[in-house]
Amino acid sequence: MFGFLARRILIAIPTILLISIFVFTLQKLLPGDPVLAMAGEERDPEVLEFLRAKYRLNDPIHMQYFYWIGGALQGDLGISLRTQQPVLALIGEKLPVTIQLAVMALSIALVIGVPAGVISAYRKGTWVDWLANVVALSGLSIPNFWLGIMLILLVSVKWGLLPASGYVPLSEDPLQSLQTMIMPAFVLGTGLAATLMRHTRSAMLGVLKSDYVRTARAKGLGERVVVVKHALRNALVPIVTVTTLLFGELLAGAVLTEQIFTIPGFGKLVVDAVFNRDYAVVQGIVLCTAVAFIAMNILADAAYRILNPRMRDD
Amino acid sequence: MPDDAAPLLEVTDLSIRFGKAPTNLVDGVSLTLERGETLCIVGESGCGKSLTALALMGLLPMPPARLMSGRAMFEGRDLLHLPIAELKDIRGDRMAMIFQEPMTSLNPAIKVGEQIAEAVRRHRGASHEEARARALEMLMRVRIPAPEKRLDEYPHQMSGGMRQRAMIAMALANDPALLIADEPTTALDVTVQAQVLDLMRNLQAESNAALIMITHDLGVVAEMADKVAVMYAGRIVEAGPVKAIFDDPQHPYTIGLMSSMPDLGPRGGRLVTIPGVVPPADAMPEGCRFASRCPFAGPDCAEAPPLSDFGGGHRVACWRAPLEQAAEPLQTLGGAR
Repeated sequence: MFGFLARRILIAIPTILLISIFVFTLQKLLPGDPVLAMAGEERDPEVLEFLRAKYRLNDPIHMQYFYWIGGALQGDLGISLRTQQPVLALIGEKLPVTIQLAVMALSIALVIGVPAGVISAYRKGTWVDWLANVVALSGLSIPNFWLGIMLILLVSVKWGLLPASGYVPLSEDPLQSLQTMIMPAFVLGTGLAATLMRHTRSAMLGVLKSDYVRTARAKGLGERVVVVKHALRNALVPIVTVTTLLFGELLAGAVLTEQIFTIPGFGKLVVDAVFNRDYAVVQGIVLCTAVAFIAMNILADAAYRILNPRMRDD
Repeated sequence: MPDDAAPLLEVTDLSIRFGKAPTNLVDGVSLTLERGETLCIVGESGCGKSLTALALMGLLPMPPARLMSGRAMFEGRDLLHLPIAELKDIRGDRMAMIFQEPMTSLNPAIKVGEQIAEAVRRHRGASHEEARARALEMLMRVRIPAPEKRLDEYPHQMSGGMRQRAMIAMALANDPALLIADEPTTALDVTVQAQVLDLMRNLQAESNAALIMITHDLGVVAEMADKVAVMYAGRIVEAGPVKAIFDDPQHPYTIGLMSSMPDLGPRGGRLVTIPGVVPPADAMPEGCRFASRCPFAGPDCAEAPPLSDFGGGHRVACWRAPLEQAAEPLQTLGGAR
């Protein structure tokens, strides 16, 4: 396992470098001038030239890239052109919020989606299956922003049960933190639960028909052991894949949901940075997201090897 | 309580239908089996032999399958009408099953030792250690080399023959009185087939378990069987002691089947085939189901012949039995007997 992980991490390095080059150049193609965005009303050519020189925007693009990646390798992602804060600090501030939201949303999705998928596959063709599919389809079709607004209206405004917005760090007051996050996590989680349910269902349908499930029944094992130990375990590989992808997506930010619940997460940071042509921040965020995605994929591959012994012999 | 004089398994008039099909895929099958006896059910693919076995184990998915009639008395209980909880207590304990494809029949994600041990824990209430010890003992009994090591291996790390041995170990772990083997050697290399058959025979002799062996391979029948039941299109067309079936086959289908075996039929000439095909499930004839392919068929075959006893337990479902003369039609079937 250790050798496998080391190998995967080594392979990830060129991937990350490629992504960084891609993002860096692509961004330069965007219309709009960061210096203009920064200078605001100020249009004095000397000031603009000074700013360009300060941020080395007059240097050839490959040199600019080397400045940036050189810094990034030392943990310096540059300074926000807009707020003058170090990008790493900005990310460090928002990332925990987003991670907390993502983990909570995904937990809700897993707790609902996987059992629902298992039950609906096991009871295929019955009203249970039908109901699960209808609910899942609704979950997929209801837009998050609508569900979010409805929840705020009902739970916060009408019943006054949970705070409608705001954010309290987990380290400060865990209970209150969970209270503020549970609604947005639920909004995100239900949509993902539907996706997970559909994938779990189809994976389980295949596995439940397999010969080894029949063998397990032939041994006289109870249905719960047959379904959970013999079937679900073999259906987990596609479920892990989907979960990983969903987690990656959540990390990249759930902009609308964050906006509705005014959560100071990654999503808002990205949108603001793009609109302000805050190159350093956008690059930093994309790099972080890319690394997170790759890390999740490596973890997923490791999980496959645990779940599927046949993958261990390479 | 089980009656000691009664046969171990007595199946009467088992009929199974699928969905809305107009005819039974297994039709009026009756079998008896004594302790320690081996019955081979022979027939081509789709003749209902596997369905019969799965129905006895309660492993047929219902629906789509429907039990139309039948009883299967096993140690005093009717397997076909037992509450599922009671059936589960018998399954894997008093009766066990071995499947055709050991690669797909073993769980790829669970260690072989655990797959054997869980059956022991389930039925004997054994602890993890006891069950593991039993699994090891079983792996030794099926003569898997380096059994301690194999306990912690996964199925994909074993060869085909070893996997089937592991399946056998699993099935026999609780000393069942009845073992059902559905084409246990079909997926194996020829050399391994003989070893596995040999092993099964030895283990059966040790444990006095009765064996129902489902096969389309008459070589396997000759090797293993005490009794044979020949199935065609869902019905038993001929049944009896193995010697009677091989020496004096009476049903035209049995004769055709024997002749189409390369090593049993006449040598030197072309391989013999039975003309025609099995009627499809939705177009089963009312009468004898073999009539459309039978060189002896006559108008009376529009009515289904009963399985009548011709002495010594040799039963044949054919209006023409006993066949004596009629050399010409026999030759069409390749049986120049």
